[in-house]
Amino acid sequence: MKATRGEKLFYAVNYVVLGLIALSCLLPMVHIAAMSLSDAHHVASGHVVFWPLGWTTDAYTSLIEGSDIVNAFRNNVVLTVVGTALCMCCTVLAAYPLSRRDMYGRRLFTLAIIFTMLFTGGIIPNYLVIKGLGLIDSYGAIWLPALVSVFNMLVLKTYFESMQVEMEEAARIDGCSEWRLIAQIVLPLSVPVLAALTLFYAVAFWNQFMNVLIFMNDPAKYNLTVLVQQMVQSQSMMQDLNNLQPEDMANLTPETIKSAGVVVMLVPMLIVYPFLQKYFVKGVMIGAVKG
Amino acid sequence: MSMAERQAVGGGAVRMPQRRNRRRLRQNIPYFILFTPIIVYFLLFKYAPMGGLVIAFKDYNFADGVFGSPWVGLGQFETLFSNPQTLRIIRNTFVLSVLALLIGFPFPILLAVLLNEVGRVWFKRGVQTLVYLPHFLSWVIVSGIVITIFSIEGVINNLFADWLGWSPIQFLYSEGSWLALFIGSGIWKGAGWGAIIYLAALSSIDPSLYESASIDGANKWKQIRHITLPGIAPTIVIVFILSVGNVMEVGFDQVYTLQNSAVFGISEVISTYTYKIGLQSLQFSLTSAMGLFESLIGLVLVLITNTIARRYGQGLW
Repeated sequence: MKATRGEKLFYAVNYVVLGLIALSCLLPMVHIAAMSLSDAHHVASGHVVFWPLGWTTDAYTSLIEGSDIVNAFRNNVVLTVVGTALCMCCTVLAAYPLSRRDMYGRRLFTLAIIFTMLFTGGIIPNYLVIKGLGLIDSYGAIWLPALVSVFNMLVLKTYFESMQVEMEEAARIDGCSEWRLIAQIVLPLSVPVLAALTLFYAVAFWNQFMNVLIFMNDPAKYNLTVLVQQMVQSQSMMQDLNNLQPEDMANLTPETIKSAGVVVMLVPMLIVYPFLQKYFVKGVMIGAVKG
Repeated sequence: MSMAERQAVGGGAVRMPQRRNRRRLRQNIPYFILFTPIIVYFLLFKYAPMGGLVIAFKDYNFADGVFGSPWVGLGQFETLFSNPQTLRIIRNTFVLSVLALLIGFPFPILLAVLLNEVGRVWFKRGVQTLVYLPHFLSWVIVSGIVITIFSIEGVINNLFADWLGWSPIQFLYSEGSWLALFIGSGIWKGAGWGAIIYLAALSSIDPSLYESASIDGANKWKQIRHITLPGIAPTIVIVFILSVGNVMEVGFDQVYTLQNSAVFGISEVISTYTYKIGLQSLQFSLTSAMGLFESLIGLVLVLITNTIARRYGQGLW
């Protein structure tokens, strides 16, 4: 079929628009990277756009030596790895029984869990519970309240339900116990979904911000988001420029170091992004089928 | 299972149901060994905080705790709706979330429809890779980038000065432009990701519809209008219900990382206020009342939108 003139015009415009949209996602990150690799003089002059001017890695050196960013990076890894492992265990624990049709109170439990998605206690009551449990300043305060994401649990439950019943019946007749059924049949068959959910949790923990801000008073426990946020926020003092004292000036994190902080957070995400994209999109599709 | 059931009921066998019950009981033991920690988790971290909301009806103090603090009935809510400051915060929460929803909602649909018209696979893949990326970045990164780019010494102001001779504009410190940056950064971060679900819906539209429409002389615009959009309408409705349900949850991360003291008049919302005044100035009861109000509105909105959607046969439950 030959494209008409109108169609040709449509396709041309479409390619241009999409190209611009894609660039708008990429270029801000390129700009930040260029800022972090330029020297302070060029950055102050405002001519750094997409290419570093006066190439230097000073910002990274002073970031690593002058701040807690290495420690924060380590904290991020601990938070993410342990948190993801705990969450995956608990999500399976919740999803498997709820996927069995002969479980007592299955509908009631499912509804009670979905209700927590629609209505929550909110920040202060959560804080009181965490405080009551003595979890302030411990990572338990980040991990425990997030053990089961209801959405992820529902995705996994739906997947378990869709598994072939015949295979299970056959395994049961052959005298397979429930535990072996889970360990040797159900879980190995769910690897693609489990992988997607692992990444969902890992990204959430890697980017965790609010709970660290609320529950961690000790700066040694800060993760990257909170640490970098504090560097960036020092800029909001700029609006009081008129009554800025010299000592305040010294507290302002230089633009290049701030940019370097953002890049340090950005790079690990870019490295794992190819995996993320593949499995995340699949995960979203599984979730969408349910909807 | 269902065969056995029918036999048990229809055949009048007396012992069958009993044996089935015993089997079911035995079957349930491992389920509940697995499930008990989950019950404890939900009671402790989800339902106990809901119970903790009683402090919204009390005057909480640390000495007496949640149970000992004196009751004040709806006193906190009276303060909430009579104090101009708290009223403004509730208004901000509504304004920011409704604007973000209404302005942001069409973008993923538009993006999906445009992507769906792309024939070259490499181009489509490339665009998808780039537009999904911001979803994975934390708000600290996104706001850090926005603040760097739009600050007075930022690249946008410099380009304006160089090319157009404009004097610097305080994008971050005036309410109108801050609002635009808030909504814009939300779209930047979420539109690509939001398009995935529509792309999935689009791929299930029968291609022969387009062919016959094209033969009948329908141009691209008419095809999109009469085939593409009706094809994804159910998905649009479902996504809309879910978004409306979350409408009161203006993301804490986004607002907190983007705001500054010059724009508190528009940017302070319930969650950021709760963090600052509730946790840091220990106004637990007042901010709990705000949180409860927020949660209740959210719940009511989900129930209403779902009821409406169900009337058109597209409800979530």
